[in-house]
Amino acid sequence: MPDTHFYRYDDYDRALVSERVAQFRDQVRRRLAGELTEEQFKPLRLTNGLYLQLHAYMLRIAIPYGTLSTRQLRQLAAIARKYDRGYGHFTTRQNLQLNWIKLEGAPDALAMLAEVDMHAIQTSGNLIRNVTADHFAGAAIDEIEDPRIWCEIVRQWSTLHPEFSFLPRKFKIAITGSPNDRAAVRVHDVGLRLWRNEAGETGFEVIVGGGLGRTPMIGKTIREFLPKDDLLAYLEATLRVYNRYGRRDNLYKSRIKILVHEIGPEKMREDVEAEYAAMKDSALKLTPETIEAIARQFAPPALRSKRTKVPEVEALKLENRAFALWLKSNVAPHRVPGHAIVTASLKPAGAPPGDASSAQMEGVADIADAWSQGEVRVSHEQNLVLPHVAIEALPEVYRALERLGFAEANVGKITDIIACPGLDYCALANARSIPVAQRISTHFAELSRQHDIGDLKIKISGCINACGHHHVGHIGILGVDKNGVELYQISLGGDVDFGKTALGTILGPAVEADKVVEAVDALVATYLEARQADERFVDTYRRIGAQPFKERVYGAV
Amino acid sequence: MAKNLSGELHVASANRLRDGMVVFLDEAGEWTTRLDRAAVARDERSAEILLARAQAEAFGVVDSFLVAVAESNDGTLEPLSLREKIRASGLTFDAIAAEAVRYA
Repeated sequence: MPDTHFYRYDDYDRALVSERVAQFRDQVRRRLAGELTEEQFKPLRLTNGLYLQLHAYMLRIAIPYGTLSTRQLRQLAAIARKYDRGYGHFTTRQNLQLNWIKLEGAPDALAMLAEVDMHAIQTSGNLIRNVTADHFAGAAIDEIEDPRIWCEIVRQWSTLHPEFSFLPRKFKIAITGSPNDRAAVRVHDVGLRLWRNEAGETGFEVIVGGGLGRTPMIGKTIREFLPKDDLLAYLEATLRVYNRYGRRDNLYKSRIKILVHEIGPEKMREDVEAEYAAMKDSALKLTPETIEAIARQFAPPALRSKRTKVPEVEALKLENRAFALWLKSNVAPHRVPGHAIVTASLKPAGAPPGDASSAQMEGVADIADAWSQGEVRVSHEQNLVLPHVAIEALPEVYRALERLGFAEANVGKITDIIACPGLDYCALANARSIPVAQRISTHFAELSRQHDIGDLKIKISGCINACGHHHVGHIGILGVDKNGVELYQISLGGDVDFGKTALGTILGPAVEADKVVEAVDALVATYLEARQADERFVDTYRRIGAQPFKERVYGAV
Repeated sequence: MAKNLSGELHVASANRLRDGMVVFLDEAGEWTTRLDRAAVARDERSAEILLARAQAEAFGVVDSFLVAVAESNDGTLEPLSLREKIRASGLTFDAIAAEAVRYA
């Protein structure tokens, strides 16, 4: 199926990516021949997304705004099979990491990526990283506008931007086009939220200085409403202020969130607005033609309204409880009647969260070709999304996903855990994440129980860098190392829902690795005893506070 | 400040340049993926010499360093830290089986 519903590279994009592959091939050759030292080579490989982790090199592949064609997904599967160990890890940045890549094979892997208009540029370094978006973009019933149009505009502007290639620190931008934030925009360096004002115009709320990591912060709104055609001017102004005043003397204080915190949002707004005023009518102003040209590439697929009540679906719901639960948790409403958005859960009980084998990736591509207009999305919650599925096809899609092991009815539930790679892979980690997630997921595997518990987001990080977003988990789990022993710090009450964004509060002393499941069990039991009506875990926590949870957990462990 | 090397056994480790695999320096000055073949420094002075040898044998590897190990009665070496145990022995869970799930 052709890539018809999102951006296709033009000659300029292709030339740029091909040149980078050729350059990197030569750089690798020189490194292997001993002509370059590791000190000289390291920044070159990182610029191409190639990290050296505990056991092997890791290639971080950019998936712009989490959107993939089936051709691209099949190519990722082929690369994983040929140059890695036949599987990959989808990340909280909507990217794919291959954890066993060899340096000598990396240029060929990048060449294969270039064949399908992909690359690994800007997945490392102190520059503007891959822009993330709502994974339901272009399909969500609550969407005001497709944010990917703006993501693509930002991608083109930021790619190899000469002024912003050596920022004080990395810079992450997320964009949502819906009032329900599925892109966690308040915890990004810049978060952009499209909304419609009273005059009926759409524009951006600009949120600056959010982030997780060592010093978690919720972003501050520095502009309530930005006309869309001024997006690049305003971003350029923001980056310019950060580039000038952001700290370069202290790695831990170098993100824009620290700058905003230190000077205050008012001063930040003042400085950005002054820069913006000086450049808003410059070449950065987006013309209607430019916007339209990009928007055309994201034209929605021509879906016709269909019946929303399908007898076969209703019948299967009655006879297959797992399917009925799956409809509740993994299927979301679509903007076109008679269609749905399906989330393929990459969290079957006991599996490493976010991992998919090459065969599974190919299976998802086959399903997307047959029933989802050839489109797949990667969610920041480490699942894959089929954005355009007819309701009448849901039974077949369910069975196909079941064969892949991706039909677990657990999206948004306690086993839909976000986990970073942790100490099993990562050179920065202090403790393991994946085995902890596996134990929790195995313990709570029973689907009826999960649905009884309801929406509950567990997020696990293996170090303070917070790649597993533990600060914004309803239950956050942070692995720490204390004198060579892995301990896990539990926090409660984090959230990324719009209007409720909150950072979790540490519950008490960290618990030992083999007590984590017990602790989570105690938290859940406390919630189930105290919840009222349809309260989610986090709602009950907000109502009754930490004390009952604390007493139960520390009584239990 | 230099690391205190006293009171521990050490081996020299690095990642192999061409594929990133974890390697250890053996008695012959070759890099091997087998921890059981690693040269062991049994005192502080030997550890310093081992590290110097590892750094001199830098071609083909990245970032050599010393790893503290314990030696059991039968001579089996095991790194002391969890990080180094994982580096030496691999993942602590079963990675997804690459081709175990085949799409019918």
